[in-house]
This record gives sequence, C-alpha cells and structure tokens, in this order.
Amino acid sequence: MIGFDLTEEQLNYQKMARIFAEKEMKPYADELDKRQGTGFDWRIVRRFARANLLGVSVPKAYGGMGVDHLTASIITEELGAACLGISHPAGGTWLATTCLTLVGNEDQKKRFLPLVCGEKAMLAGLAITEPEAGSDMAGIKTLAVRKGERYILNGTKSFISNAGLGGFYIVFATTDPQKRQVGLNAFIVDGDSPGLTLGRVEDMMGMRAGQVGELIFNNVEVPLENQLGAENTGFLIAMQTLDMSRPCMGAGAIGAARAAFETALIFARERKQYGRPIIENQAISIMLADMATEIDAARLLTWRACWLIDQEMDSTLASSISKVFTTEMAERVCSRAIQILGGQGYTRRWPVEKYYRDVRACQIYEGTNQIQRMIISSML
Amino acid sequence: MIYKTIGKKIQKAREEAGLSQEEMASRLGYTQAALSNYELGKRRLYLANIEQIARELNKPLSYFLVDSPLRGKEEQKEPPDEITSEIINLLSELPTEEKKNILEYIKWRRDRLP
Repeated sequence: MIGFDLTEEQLNYQKMARIFAEKEMKPYADELDKRQGTGFDWRIVRRFARANLLGVSVPKAYGGMGVDHLTASIITEELGAACLGISHPAGGTWLATTCLTLVGNEDQKKRFLPLVCGEKAMLAGLAITEPEAGSDMAGIKTLAVRKGERYILNGTKSFISNAGLGGFYIVFATTDPQKRQVGLNAFIVDGDSPGLTLGRVEDMMGMRAGQVGELIFNNVEVPLENQLGAENTGFLIAMQTLDMSRPCMGAGAIGAARAAFETALIFARERKQYGRPIIENQAISIMLADMATEIDAARLLTWRACWLIDQEMDSTLASSISKVFTTEMAERVCSRAIQILGGQGYTRRWPVEKYYRDVRACQIYEGTNQIQRMIISSML
Repeated sequence: MIYKTIGKKIQKAREEAGLSQEEMASRLGYTQAALSNYELGKRRLYLANIEQIARELNKPLSYFLVDSPLRGKEEQKEPPDEITSEIINLLSELPTEEKKNILEYIKWRRDRLP
C-alpha cells in the first residue's frame, strides 16, 4: 500500500511543470519582484493559460487538466521553485475551482469551470476574509439578502487573492450575521457584476508578482442559480475547500525552500574561505543536511495529505499537519540559506532573500498556522 | 472533526429510523464499508452525500450541519438559542444519572448569579 514511486504520468506532469517554470516563470521572477507600485502583469495569465495551468484542478470534461491532488502538488512544487509570487494568481484560481468542483451543480460547473481553462483562460478567486473576520470566519458581515430570484450582496472582502483580476469569484456571505456560521452561504459572483469594485491593493513584503486586495460589494445582484450548495451550508463548503487546498499550497512552499536550498548548496561548494570551500566546515554542511532533511519530511507529509484527499478520505488532520510543518520548514530553510550566503544572502543580488519574503506569507494565508494548531489539537 | 460529528449524527438518525448499516447502505447505493467510514468520520462527506442521507432519513439538512462545524472557542460565542439547542442535543446522548448531575450543576450556578 505504501509506495513512493511517481507514475509515468506524474513524472510527465513534473517535467512539463519544470520546463514551464524554467522558461515562463524564472526569467521574470526577479523583475516582477522588484517592480514598484501594484500594477499587475497580465502576461503571467497568458503564459499560464497557454499551458492550461490555471485549470490544473478542473476535471478534463470541463477543459481542465483534471489531475489528482498528489499530481497537483508535484506540479505546484515545481512552480513554487521558480517563483511563488508568479504562482500566486494560479493558486488563487485553483482555490476557486477546487470549491466549485467540490460543490457546484452540473449547470454551475458547465458555466464557470471552462472559463479558467484553455488559451483564453481567466483568473478566479475565493473571497472569505473580511476586515473584521479573519481567523473567525463565522464573523463574516457581508450580507446576502434574498429578493425574489436574486440575492443582493453588500460588504467588503479583504486580502483576496486575484482581487480585481477574476472572471468570477466564489464569495462567502451571511444571510443573518446573528446566526454566525449557520448563516453562511457561498455564491458565484461574476467579475463584471455592477456594484462590484476593487478596493485597496496591498503592497506586500513578498509574493509581489501577485495581486491581493479588497473587493467591495455595493448592491451586487447574484442570480439564485449562482448559489453554491444548499442554503446555509457555506461554513462546511469553506472548511472542505480549505482542507483540500492546504497541502497543495504547502507544496509551493516546498518548491521555494528547495530553490533556496539548491542556491545555498551551490554557493557553499564554490565560496572559499581559509583556502577551502565553506561546505567543508561542519557548521555549514550540517545546516545543509538539516535543510535537506526537513524538505524531505515536508514533502512526505504533503504527499500523504494529498493521497488521503485522492482516496476520498478525511484529510482535515493530515492537511493541517502538513500545512504547519511545511510552511514553517520553508521559513527555516530560507533563513538558513541567507545565513550560508552571509552578506550576499541579505542582498538583492541573490534570490534567497526573495524566497524568504515569499514563503513568509504561507504561514498566514489559507488559515494561519495558529488556527491549524487549533484544528490539530481539537482532533488529538 | 466536522466529519466525525456529522457521522455520529448520521449513525444516530439511522438507528432511530431502525435501519442497519447494510439496509441503509443499500438504499443509498453505497457499500456497507463506505457508510461505516462516513459514520466514523473517516471518509470525506460531500454536501451531496449529506443531502442524500438527509432525504433518505427524512431529516432537514440542518439536522446534520447546524451545530457540527464548531471549532475551538467559537462555541462560546453562539447566540443563546444555538447554545440551548446544543445543550439539548448533547444532553440526549447522556445517561439519566449524568443528566441529574448536570441539572444540579445548573442549579448551583443559577443560585450564585449576582
């Protein structure tokens, strides 16, 4: 039952992703990271669309790649190794399509999933967080009021990946804030809906190629047929979506950690002090050994969580465990890489400080690591 | 955790309906092993599964969902009607002796209110 060999198909996807990352991401990573201001580079979307990489988790029947979660995590690791920031628009889209694939009805899937597939693909996003409802999702205030065959949405969503860029968004709103999680509902909202505007765009520490910002809903009309799942099931929908997306998100952090490790390894072999490469000092080589060990452990935890998802088993515990370990491992590895490079590592001439800034976000989004620990401890 | 709580409710509703796992599984078109895994919270329950089970057992969907997705301290922030309904739900799972203890405790607390 336990085997760690990738199938030929998985190896092909890995190779494809690695080539894409080398050609279509790496050459732009530095430039997009250093840009000032917050203008989004739409060429990212065109490149991903040409490779159908926005539709990784969309079933083949709707035009996507239709790969399982384990394969998706293998692809994500490769993309993360090139640039987590450039991967981010795709990651935000996958969140929305994971949710839609999970709970959408046939009509909803037919109307929306093909939009993120193929050469003309658009981005999508998942909108849960609000200024006053972060970790406490049940505190969502965005109000959905039913009026005949429509819902009217009012409120503000914050820290939304792909805000202002999405062809559609999955938006979580409440029909009664007093009911907390019992009043939560999920809606598919057209990106062009009248009354939907982009608010503040965040100027972030890392992930600078992506766009994260506010979505403001001012009497946005959503047709009844765009409500996801049964009434008042929004909380379950959100939890299930995040349980399924966390391992894949962690895989991106593994990619960035791997890139930092590889940079540090090459540097340590070439950099000479006292007449010999610094890797010959145990102080350095043991740091590299720890980095390799932790990357490997994180990958196995991620693969196990993905395997559970693919077996249709409950992955809640395994997903949270993998998210905590993987994202904190990535920060430690990137920090050690900076240390090994010394003064050079702290400069922008080398990419390790960028890896560090990028992976730092992973401990915060898709449920902070503190929330993951609450989930883990509640299941012990 | 969500699945475990929902699974327990499925088991309870099934037993109240007087159905064995085998009977219920065949009505739903699942294998008995799959239903057992759902009840134990080991298998991921899709919303569609829960809806199907709710229909089959003649229960509203909310019966399975309403007080299940509680995590951490959120419970304490519930409006009173939610707390009350949860207390009633949990009480029904306890033996009479335990209920008596809890009744005594509630009275003890009430008598000490400012």
